[in-house]
Amino acid sequence: MKTDRLRAINTPRRVEVELGLAGLPVMVESRAVESVCEIWRIDDEWWRDPIHRRYVEAILEGGKHVVLFAELTTGEWWVQKP
Amino acid sequence: MTRTPHLASDTAACCWIPLFALRSELARRPELASHPVALVAPDTARTPRVWQVAPLARRAGVKPGMTVSQAIGLCPALKLCEPDPVHYDEQFARLVTALVTVSPVVEPVELGRAYVGTDGLQEIYGGPERIVEEMQLRIVDCGLRIGSSSIESAIRNPQSEIRVGWGKGKFVSWVAATRARPGHAVIVPSGEEGKFLASQPLAVLPLDPDTHRRLRQLGVKTLGALVALPEEAVVSQFGRAGRRLWRLAAGLVSEPVVGRVVPEPIVAALTFFTPVGERDLLAHALDKLVDRALADPRRSGWRVQAVRVHAELEHGASWLVAATLKDPSATRERIAAPLKTQLERSPPAGAVERLVVEFTAFAPGTAELQLFARDASAAARAGRRRALQSAAREIALRIRRPMLYHVIEVQPWSRLPERRYALIDFEP
Repeated sequence: MKTDRLRAINTPRRVEVELGLAGLPVMVESRAVESVCEIWRIDDEWWRDPIHRRYVEAILEGGKHVVLFAELTTGEWWVQKP
Repeated sequence: MTRTPHLASDTAACCWIPLFALRSELARRPELASHPVALVAPDTARTPRVWQVAPLARRAGVKPGMTVSQAIGLCPALKLCEPDPVHYDEQFARLVTALVTVSPVVEPVELGRAYVGTDGLQEIYGGPERIVEEMQLRIVDCGLRIGSSSIESAIRNPQSEIRVGWGKGKFVSWVAATRARPGHAVIVPSGEEGKFLASQPLAVLPLDPDTHRRLRQLGVKTLGALVALPEEAVVSQFGRAGRRLWRLAAGLVSEPVVGRVVPEPIVAALTFFTPVGERDLLAHALDKLVDRALADPRRSGWRVQAVRVHAELEHGASWLVAATLKDPSATRERIAAPLKTQLERSPPAGAVERLVVEFTAFAPGTAELQLFARDASAAARAGRRRALQSAAREIALRIRRPMLYHVIEVQPWSRLPERRYALIDFEP
């Protein structure tokens, strides 16, 4: 029997960010954040592994479009594609 | 795949484990054995009802068929277990596999009950007592975990839950099994069926409640009392069903055990990287799995007669539905339709981690016709598809592992971007 496993794509990657005065990222792995498009928060799946994240959709220096989020329980920042 | 031959036997051994599902559950959760326990029915997600009830709970008044709230009202200490039909099925499959090593003629009836045809086995094992002993030994060896203690020896072991009856035909062997004490066997010698059945209560007959009530009102409480009435009188009261009941009670009906060669099922499975609860997504996954199973080369030339879907749920529970098609089919829509209906009617009780589709029975079909392309664009599409399939096979041969994937939508509405899409192996 062949079992197919779904493979996740666009999995987040841990990054080092520098935060500005407003608590928003201004540098992501030595690339400056040129603009912040949107900010939102997700609190979900409290019945399983709770997810508490603050998302920031941003354009980096050079035009790269990314989604950053901070895990509110650990303070770590992660990046992925939109 | 070959046509399924029929194997039959006049003499039968009935192997019966009452409350099989509940006992399977207690075997893997022995801490529940000292509590009043009941199992919730697997197909009643909307209004949960009690299915199998342990003796402690029965004494408190809990009965099968009650709603959960009624049961808890009667027995506040009642512990309810979510059903795991896949586990019970696997346990029962172990039992049937063990019985098949004794005789090739095995007819499973329901969870916990199977008939074994014993014609011709006297030459190998000896008389009925030796055949039954051999069955019990094979069951011990098969690793079946049942009841509140592990089975060290099923032979004359009061801890064993297995009861065996032997006699001519399925009905006599079944009645004999119900009379056997746990761990023991009752053997009805040939020619003594009438004498054995005479003292049995009316409840052993396959009666509807109305017929049972009417017979009791007539003062008929045993099969002997029924047989004492003239057959034609019973027929005039109860019609054709009455004739069958009279002849069963008299030991004149001997239904042979019919075993079949079970074809190897065709299976397609999918593991979700995050548990899925949405029914639309499950229905979509069902379609994909049915397509994949239909594409199996072993299915070529056969139509699907019976299909089963089982799911592993979060927190260890499971879900199982099966459908037998009135007309065997090889099209996805016809095969998936009854499964989707059952998915709507009795959805899984939790989020699904893994979904499995099995084609378990087949009927001969016409050879698949290659439809001629009606126009040039259809021909071009077919040509591109063939080229892609050829390239995929070439890659698989050279690199020896899958390197081509589809991107599929999983939860495109999800607020978490990593859950929206996923990769799945490309099947040429």
